[in-house]
This record gives sequence, structure tokens and C-alpha cells, in this order.
Amino acid sequence: MNDRGDFDAIVVGAGPAGTTAALTLAQKGRRVALLERGESPGSKNMFGGMMAYCPTPERLLPDFWEQAPWERAVTKRVLTVVGEASSTSVTFHADASAERALTGFTLYRPLFDRWYAQQAEKQGVTLLCGCRVAGLLVRDGAVRGVNLGSPGDDLEAPIIIACDGTLSLLAQEAGLHAGFKPSQLALGIRALYRLSEAEIDDRFGLTGREGATHEVLGCTDGIRGGGYVYTQTETLSVGLVMHLDSLKQRGLAPYDLLDRFVASPAVAPLLRGSRLVEYSAHLLPEGGIGMVPRLSTAGLLLAGDAAGLCYTNGLNQEGMNLAMTSGMIAAEVTDEALTAADLSAARLGAYQERLKQSFVLRDMTTFRRAVDFMHHDRLFEAYPRVVGTLMEKIYRSDGQPKQKIGKLGREALRDVLPLRRVIGDLIEGGRAFLW
Amino acid sequence: MVVDELFDLVSYRIHPEPHIRLDHERCQACTHRACTFVCPARCYTWSEERGRVEFAYETCLECGTCLLLCDQGALDWHYPHGGYGVRFRLT
Ligand SMILES: Cc1cc2nc3c(=O)[nH]c(=O)nc-3n(C[C@H](O)[C@H](O)[C@H](O)COP(=O)(O)OP(=O)(O)OC[C@H]3O[C@@H](n4cnc5c(N)ncnc54)[C@H](O)[C@@H]3O)c2cc1C
Ligand code: SF4
Ligand code: SF4
Repeated sequence: MNDRGDFDAIVVGAGPAGTTAALTLAQKGRRVALLERGESPGSKNMFGGMMAYCPTPERLLPDFWEQAPWERAVTKRVLTVVGEASSTSVTFHADASAERALTGFTLYRPLFDRWYAQQAEKQGVTLLCGCRVAGLLVRDGAVRGVNLGSPGDDLEAPIIIACDGTLSLLAQEAGLHAGFKPSQLALGIRALYRLSEAEIDDRFGLTGREGATHEVLGCTDGIRGGGYVYTQTETLSVGLVMHLDSLKQRGLAPYDLLDRFVASPAVAPLLRGSRLVEYSAHLLPEGGIGMVPRLSTAGLLLAGDAAGLCYTNGLNQEGMNLAMTSGMIAAEVTDEALTAADLSAARLGAYQERLKQSFVLRDMTTFRRAVDFMHHDRLFEAYPRVVGTLMEKIYRSDGQPKQKIGKLGREALRDVLPLRRVIGDLIEGGRAFLW
Repeated sequence: MVVDELFDLVSYRIHPEPHIRLDHERCQACTHRACTFVCPARCYTWSEERGRVEFAYETCLECGTCLLLCDQGALDWHYPHGGYGVRFRLT
């Protein structure tokens, strides 16, 4: 191992952002330390989850997607809206032969993150696990290193890349923001169930290494959020995501909602005969571009969740891919700044500009309104109820004369939402998603 | 009910020192006691007997929800020492 202080850069956090940043720097010949507080990379990490296909890691490791320990390649995506006595679903199913860009990969973070960090080690990264960064060393107005817990237990380097995840504690210490707000974050909880591979294939209609994701709206008792069921090879990931402010306001316990979700008619049949094997919880950024802080200061850059670079527009859940891409770009800017021997705030400001040109900040800007739209309470309670009632009316066959859908729609809305509001939402939703 | 089973399935390496500390004085002014229902690991419980919120750090999942939702500044919140705390791994 290098002597302390012998590093060109220190990366904090061996999640997708940190490992990508460290790997990129090592490939450029930089001496880099990757510090992870968990006993191994991934041991603290969980997600839904499906990582949308992303070319970034392939640029660093050409056979990344052939080698990485992912579980299933998702070709089937089901969106379900739960009503009072029914549920309504839309399914997208890419052919198994479809190109990669149409798929995503389910994976188990403790395995995936560890494997990825091992690849970084092979390329020369010094990985230190069980190593919690407690604070930053600041000298002459610039970040110069990190403190590892006790006084004097420091590690120095000219530049730090903070990839310490959603709580973003180091960025706060560096004065880049004053803490994310409850309305900008969501709590995700998940239960992992074991079921045989063949049983999962049968139940979800999958072959080979194909996978499926189910997103469920209207199952959170009015809390802004939703439920999910994702297929791994031999496990099902089942859980809920809830905006923190909404959770607090509603006064419900997350595990009680999970209890109801797994027993609900939309989910229970998928879990029949399976065995509960793990429970976990984690926060994720859901505030969109509005929560993204200044991304650098003298001697420090932010990437991944620590920078708020994670969003959902209701259809896409983008997190790991943005983390890897921002980690790579942060490392490229770092490398250039080291070469120029200029680690000033002005020089590192190039990072923000570079991210603006990449899909990371461009997508977050495109879906700025969609993220705001996802903060309306009625999307999670009133609308699912209206959809349910409408579909129940359409399919009801009780010997009474049937009516056209427009009339049934107005009836379904009655006492739930005024028509004016619906028209307003259609326009707002249109601007968010359609044009 | 899956709830009771859930908590038994988590693996920890517990450090003898708590990584989160609660300032009971500050809780006096709290009107919502959100920690007692939002914590996904049930670390906070209201004790009728002692008339205060009790906290147990051992089963913490390190999510940060309590830190975000406590608006009285009652929590001295840190991640556990390196290598300690929750560990997600299928056994
Ligand atoms: C319920 C849920 C569902 C999600 N679903 C999806 C999905 O379907 N698709 C998707 O792409 N994304 C999803 N995400 C988001 C995705 O998980 C994140 O965007 C991604 O993990 C961010 O990567 P990161 O490297 O920035 O942070 P993290 O993965 O959080 O990594 C941060 C690392 O830093 C370490 N660390 C933190 N503080 C310190 C410290 N002080 N010292 C040392 N180490 C430290 C942590 O232990 C961790 O290993 C989901 C998230 C959740 C919670
Ligand atoms: S929310 Fe904060 S102040 Fe209120 S009871 Fe909990 S810890 Fe105390
Ligand atoms: S960090 Fe999460 S799990 Fe730990 S006590 Fe706070 S709310 Fe509970």
C-alpha cells in the first residue's frame, strides 16, 4: 500500500459513482485511494432495482456487461394502478432478441458493487474498506484531505471526490448545500423473497435470463410514492418508495404499508410459496434538478446521489447510470486539473459545464416538470381511484344499459376531482411528458 | 404479518458505542414524534411509563430518515464506525 499522503486523489464511497471515479483516475495513471465505510463495497447499499443499460462502464471495461454479476436482463415492464376493487396494468415487453439499450439489469448491490470495486483494484485503485470518513481537512480555503475518525487520523490528497451517497454529509461540510429537504428525498424499503428460478420464469412469463419489473401506483395509502416488484435470478425484490415529507404528514409506519402491499391482490400471488430472506432501507434523491447543488469547490467534487443526481419521472428510474457517468466525468475533470496543477474552485467549475453537456444534466433538465408533477398528492390517491372506478364501470355487466366511456369517466371523477382540476393536470402533465 | 419477521432477517456487527444520540430535553418541544413511526427499523418507541421517546441504535438500518424528519435538532447523527453497523448480505 502507498504511504499516507502519497495519493493524487481520494474518492469517498465505493458505490457506482465512487468506483467509477476511482477506476477512471487509475486508468489515467493516477494514484487513487477509494474509501468505503462498509466491511466490503455494497454491504451498506440497496436499491429497487434495475440499472438501465448504460454505456459508461463499457468505456472503462469493454466487456463490462458480459462480466458483471447482474441477475436478469429486464425486457418486461409492467405498470399497475390499484383501485378500490381492481387493478389495471400496462405491459411493455421487448423481444428477447432486442438490443441492449431497451433493457435494464437487475442486480444485488452487495455482490455487484463488490465485484465492480475489485475490477477497480485490478487497475491499480487502493481500496480501503471499513474506513469511514468523519470529516474534511480544509486548509487555506481548499479541501486537502479527509479525517478518519480520531484526531490526527488523516489522509491527505490534493483533491477529493465525494461519492458518499444521498445524505451528502461531506458536501454539507464543504458548504455546497445546507442539507437536502424531506420533500426532495424518498425512503425506500424492501423485502427480498427467495423463489426458484423456474418458478419466477413461470410466474412472470420469462425465459432465459429475461427479467420483469412491476411498478405499482395507488398502494401507499395516499403517501406520494409507489410499490415495486423486481425479479432477480432466484429472488424477488418487493418494496415501497415514499416521499419523506408525505410519509411524515400521513403518520404511517413504512413496514405497516409494506405488510399491506405484500398481502394485496396485485402482489400476493406473485409471492406465493416464497421465503422472506432480507429487509433493508435506504433514502434516494427525488427532487430533480432543483435539488442539485453547486458541484464543486476548491479541492472537492461531488458525484452520484451525493450531488442529487438521481430522479424518476414515473416511468424511468435513473440513479446508478447517472452515478457512474457523473463519477467518470468528475474523474476526467480531476485528471485535467491535476495535470494543470490547478485545483481551484474556478478550474473545477468545468465539471458542472461538462455534466450539462452529458445526458446526466440534460435528462434532468428535460424532466424538470415531470419531477414537480410527481409531487402532487392526487396522483397517488385520487387518480388511481378514478382509474379503478372507470375500469370497473367499463367492465361491469349487470343487465343495465351500458354507457360511453366519456360519461363513465365523468361519473368516476364525481366527488373525487373537479373537472377543471383534471384539465389543468392534463395540461401540466402534457408539458411534463409530451411536449 | 411479515413485519415481525422482517426485523429478524437483518445482519449487524454492533459497535459498543451508539452512533446516534438522542437529546431527550429537545424532544420535550416536539409535537409530532415522527421518529416513532417513520423509522423503518422501529428504533424509536414512545414509553408511556417514562413519558419520553426511547431509542435503541442496535437495529438501525442507517437510512437517515430520522435525521431528515426530526426538526428539533434532537439527534446527534453519525454513521457507525467503519466496518460496523448493518450489513446486507444473503446468508
Ligand atoms: C429503494 C431504491 C430504489 C432504487 N431504484 C433504482 C433503480 O431501479 N435504478 C437505478 O438506477 N437507481 C435506483 N436507485 C438509486 C440508486 O441506488 C442510486 O442512485 C445509486 O446507488 C447512487 O450511487 P452512488 O455511488 O452515488 O451512492 P451509493 O450507492 O449510495 O454509494 C455511496 C457509498 O459511499 C459509502 N459511504 C457513505 N458515507 C461514507 C463515509 N463517510 N466514508 C466512507 N464511505 C462512505 C457508502 O457505504 C456507499 O457504499 C434506487 C434507490 C433506492 C433507495
Ligand atoms: S422527532 Fe426528534 S424531537 Fe421529535 S421525538 Fe423524535 S427525536 Fe425527539
Ligand atoms: S437512520 Fe433510519 S433506521 Fe436508523 S434510527 Fe434513523 S430512521 Fe431508524
